[in-house]
Amino acid sequence: MKYRMSSLLALAERIEQTSLGTAIAESSLAFPIIEGIHLIGLSVAVGLLFFTDLRLMGVLFKKIPLTDVLHQLRPWMLGGFIAIFISGGLLFLAEATVLVSSPAFAFKLVFLALAGINALYFEFVIARRPEVKENRAVLPSSVRYAGFASLTLWTLVIISGRLIPYLPAWS
Amino acid sequence: MSISDVLTVIQNSVVAHAISKSDHLVGAALQVVHVIGFILLLAALVLMSLRLLGVILKHQPVADVIADASRLLWIGLALAVVSGTLMFVSSPKLYFYKFAFELKMLLFVVAVLVQFTVFRKVAKAESPSPAFVRATVALSLVTWFGIGLAGRMIGFT
Repeated sequence: MKYRMSSLLALAERIEQTSLGTAIAESSLAFPIIEGIHLIGLSVAVGLLFFTDLRLMGVLFKKIPLTDVLHQLRPWMLGGFIAIFISGGLLFLAEATVLVSSPAFAFKLVFLALAGINALYFEFVIARRPEVKENRAVLPSSVRYAGFASLTLWTLVIISGRLIPYLPAWS
Repeated sequence: MSISDVLTVIQNSVVAHAISKSDHLVGAALQVVHVIGFILLLAALVLMSLRLLGVILKHQPVADVIADASRLLWIGLALAVVSGTLMFVSSPKLYFYKFAFELKMLLFVVAVLVQFTVFRKVAKAESPSPAFVRATVALSLVTWFGIGLAGRMIGFT
């Protein structure tokens, strides 16, 4: 474990020393602007996803057919996710060693992976059931659970992400 | 009483002491609430804007979309304002003289004014002119996104 951690750190150091990594880290403007883009992308992608989740749970937009919400918000969410992943990747280049040794960042990645699995399961299994495709009034309860899981996991992604500068590194 | 005196009074208040002397995780929790509130607010705004522009949910009445999205917008705004006020109160002198903070507050005043005047008007209009809708939505999104960017700068300047 100790050996693995140190080789991960060595890799992170090399990532930070790439010209792009140092350029972002050393610019007083680039870093906060990329973080700002990360935040705006998050509000578009995850924010609109929250609305979708609340529709799945039957809390908001009950009058709007579920498939309309799912299909029409999708391109905007995907655009937001692309912005998050690119800006997030750039931020990682600039402070790879800090992130690799941060427990909050590790948790963020775990929650992110779980949210991704939940989304794939929804997309390829739940959303293909006839009740969902045909917008029936009574939807399987798995729809509500998937919405709740997504809402919870993404909230945890945001919380652990924001806690990165506040929690101490792995000892 | 000068502004500096006012800031000193705030900084010495019971609430300020309670926050600044508590564990640093209280400050972190405020940051978390602030960002979640802001995300809810921006997402609601983006959803309303896309509907007003006629890009998404075209077959749903504007009023239905606005009504549900507004609920989340106000919840988000309340979370962001309360947590933000508590953060400011805990160390007013740290924030007040920062350019990024001043810009954020200026944009915030503009954004709220836009929201309560033209944005509300566009949302309630029967058939507003497309140019008026586009201008209002652009103004609203630019100011709110600007608040996000300026807010991110505060910790770095």
